[in-house]
Amino acid sequence: MPHKFQSLRLALATLSLAACGALAQPEWVQDGSAGFVVSSIRYALAEDAEENGACPEGMTTGYADRSEVFVDLEGLELREGEAEEQHLKRLFGVAFGDKPVTNLCLNPELGAPDDRFRTVTAQGVPVEGIDLDPLVPKSRTGGYCAHEDFPGMQGGSGIDNQFYRVFGCSAQYQSTGLSNSFEIEMLTGSWGVLVTLDGIDDIANDDEVAVGIFASADPIQLSPAREPLPYATYAIHPEPRFQARTRGRIVDGVLTTEPVDVRIEWVVNSIRQDRPLDDAVLQVTLDEEGVMDGYLAGFTQVEDLYNYSFGFRNGTDGTGELAPLRLRSGSAVGKSFVLGYTCEGVYQALYANADADPDPQTGRCRALSTQYRVAAIPAFVVAEATASSNANLDAAGYRREEMYEAAPPENKKEER
Amino acid sequence: MKSCKTIALRLLLCASVSFPAGFAGAAASGTASLAEPPGTGGPPMLRRLTEAQYRATIADVFGPDIPVTARFERALRSEGLVAVGTSEAGLSAFALEQYDTAAGAIAAAVLAPERRERFVPCDSPPVQHFDPDCAAAFIERHGTRLFRRALEAEEATAWLDVARAAHTRLGDFYAALEFTLVGMLVAPDFLLRVEAVATTPAADGSPRLDAYSRATRLSYFLTGSAPDAGLLAAAGRGALDSPDGLAREVDRLMAGPRYEAAVREFFTDMLRFDLFDDLAKDPVIYPAFNSTVAADAQEQTLRTITGHLLAGEGDYRDLFTTRAAPLTRSLGIVYRQPVAVRNGWQEGEFSERSGRVGIQSHLSFLALHSHPGRSSPTLRGKAIREVFLCQHMPDPPVDVDFTGINDDTNAARPTARDRLQAHATETQCKACHVLMDPAGLALEYYDGLGAFRTRENGAEIDVSGALDAKSFAAASGLGTALAEHSQTTSCLVRRMYSFATGRRELPGERAYLEYLDATFAAAGYRVPALMRAIALSDAFYRIAPETNDEVATGHDVPAAGES
Repeated sequence: MPHKFQSLRLALATLSLAACGALAQPEWVQDGSAGFVVSSIRYALAEDAEENGACPEGMTTGYADRSEVFVDLEGLELREGEAEEQHLKRLFGVAFGDKPVTNLCLNPELGAPDDRFRTVTAQGVPVEGIDLDPLVPKSRTGGYCAHEDFPGMQGGSGIDNQFYRVFGCSAQYQSTGLSNSFEIEMLTGSWGVLVTLDGIDDIANDDEVAVGIFASADPIQLSPAREPLPYATYAIHPEPRFQARTRGRIVDGVLTTEPVDVRIEWVVNSIRQDRPLDDAVLQVTLDEEGVMDGYLAGFTQVEDLYNYSFGFRNGTDGTGELAPLRLRSGSAVGKSFVLGYTCEGVYQALYANADADPDPQTGRCRALSTQYRVAAIPAFVVAEATASSNANLDAAGYRREEMYEAAPPENKKEER
Repeated sequence: MKSCKTIALRLLLCASVSFPAGFAGAAASGTASLAEPPGTGGPPMLRRLTEAQYRATIADVFGPDIPVTARFERALRSEGLVAVGTSEAGLSAFALEQYDTAAGAIAAAVLAPERRERFVPCDSPPVQHFDPDCAAAFIERHGTRLFRRALEAEEATAWLDVARAAHTRLGDFYAALEFTLVGMLVAPDFLLRVEAVATTPAADGSPRLDAYSRATRLSYFLTGSAPDAGLLAAAGRGALDSPDGLAREVDRLMAGPRYEAAVREFFTDMLRFDLFDDLAKDPVIYPAFNSTVAADAQEQTLRTITGHLLAGEGDYRDLFTTRAAPLTRSLGIVYRQPVAVRNGWQEGEFSERSGRVGIQSHLSFLALHSHPGRSSPTLRGKAIREVFLCQHMPDPPVDVDFTGINDDTNAARPTARDRLQAHATETQCKACHVLMDPAGLALEYYDGLGAFRTRENGAEIDVSGALDAKSFAAASGLGTALAEHSQTTSCLVRRMYSFATGRRELPGERAYLEYLDATFAAAGYRVPALMRAIALSDAFYRIAPETNDEVATGHDVPAAGES
């Protein structure tokens, strides 16, 4: 599949950077280093199904009777004459009481084949994203499963975005849906993402730069209008699992990294979770003001994606302990009710459309190509040892290179 | 009860003292002697406590846990200092209302059951019973600290009568004490620093402040608060009359923990930080500005000053060239510098890239002397001359046309220099703008909030400037010019003396001020040495004979050595 720029914006940025490439390093690069804080992040999707006709078989629907989410239905069905609100109250009272009833959101593998969940079946629907195939070798993903790539929304082809295929027919992921605005929690300070570049010789063309993608240990700094502020200082999350390091190169103003396993934090209903993205590639433009814009694309294990977005099965509280069952279960079931899907339907669709990491025994793929549209602005990124990526802080007893000595760029694949 | 009714508030109507450009201070001329010249002194003053002094006094007398809940009236600035304005401003009805509110809250907290043991100097008298000895002890103990002097017998009796009457009405001993304390806290003797003249003149026959007035003047100058028990005791036994006794107290106060607070109070006043209360910035143009940035900006400058002048025992002039940059994360966003420390201050230096040197390149100066949506070389140049050189710049004529200078979207005049050029060619504007703009233009690399930039509306900014005869190419040159300007140090001397006395300097004090100039120079322009010289000088406490009419006589104490 060809590797082309996916948007007009990328191309324009390239031209502008090529023009300024001859200039001295801009303000956001200091001593060959630059830091960024992600100011915007959302799933790379497409136009609404109503616009692009992606869903000829209709849109996803949820449980007709909410009691269907429970495995043992006895006594929980909607009673004759019972108001919906009353039924819901009774359901939650029984299902999440002292003796919780097994539900399909925590146990989606127990569900019967579901025919209410719809996925994108139309051909040639243009989507956002990049072509991952030339960027992520099969040796990292363990191979791929057959799937149909998408054309790019601004041209190009070969876009690997099975996440969109699964959720393109779900109301929650349309432009007015609620599930693609998860960055709200980032803007309230619950979590954040940092990016660092080191060893920059030329912001327009550089054969090799060191790249770090980290969870932030500090809340994002906002203006009174709640816009992220540039040049704030953020510390890297101290947990090694939230620290990804790789290499990248800049060609005509476009930074493309080698794949690396990335893991960021996020929070739903006070349930803290990891949001992993395996074999992730960052492909972004950098404009003169140091604004990074592009994609963070990779693969998400089906079990991980289901957990952090739908089942909350391994969500923790603020202390790192498993969050209360009532909270996890209630959130998972409640979300399926509110957003209109069946938990087993999501789970089955995810596996049905997984395109990477085939099981050596069964051949069934276990990971789904997933892409985020990201923007980032200049920031000062400091290590837990209170050092900065943008300034010479030798006086503080810290050398920038130490961050990269800590973990080799190869970032070897962990056993799944 | 002593009242301020008998004390006249002296409005000083002396001729204005100006410092034309090129004025050479005595220190520079080398003609001054280090022996204090005979001086005339000034009038006894009646000065209202500033908000900072009020809060510090309450904290010192009753403890920092006692709340001061009031909105204080806006301070009046005169001769460049609020400290001088305190001797010229009246008390509005609003101010009295707020003082009454604060007094009620303070008295309620002091007499709260959990604190009575701390503040009532007797063993839990029954609530219903009025204990005159206990009440008298309470009045004596706190009245002395609040009024900053020993209470006269009839005065103490009057307050005791107040307490007794309150008990009769309220039937509660502690409520009666609370009522009495409220009365003391709204009394002029507390709210105003009432200076009295000693009935016994100095050894040379000249009138002088009485011992408690001297102690009060000294204490607020060197600690920003009321005299502590030790200083009041020293005043009471006449120890401040002897040079050695005075020196002991001065050195004790300057070595104490509150001395730094006094230095901060002076520079807060001199740098006009009270204007931050009204500072507004357009959030669209300056999204990083918020109340935290405003507070941290002031603190940054004060930390730089005290770190350099006190901890570093530095030369005052170096404040204009220092690259020291204590930063918080909020400030780091504006200065575009990393701040590793999460919740607190990180010591460091401004990056060379930013070109910042000196406190005049701090946000506290740049943001304060700018417009809400753009920088202002004129306001900054005006402030440089008024704040740091003690020069007076007149207000613009009422009919001046600001259209051109306000239009920062005019493509033909993209930079402030371009716009000012057109503005300053008008005859009515030129005379003042040639004094103000060249200095302010050197700071144009910093926008209306103080963030670094090199271009305005796409055009390269020219930061060349001039201060009097010295031209320079950037902000660093302005810092050097300020450090080397002959009026920089003499301005500080005059501001410091006015801060200490609460009045402008008088014509008869020129020789004394030249002595201070020379002392300051001889000490390597160390500010503590200047403050010590003022505190130890006769002139600081001397009362001009012609002003010694119609003022209250004070409290005689035994002469030094008699106690």
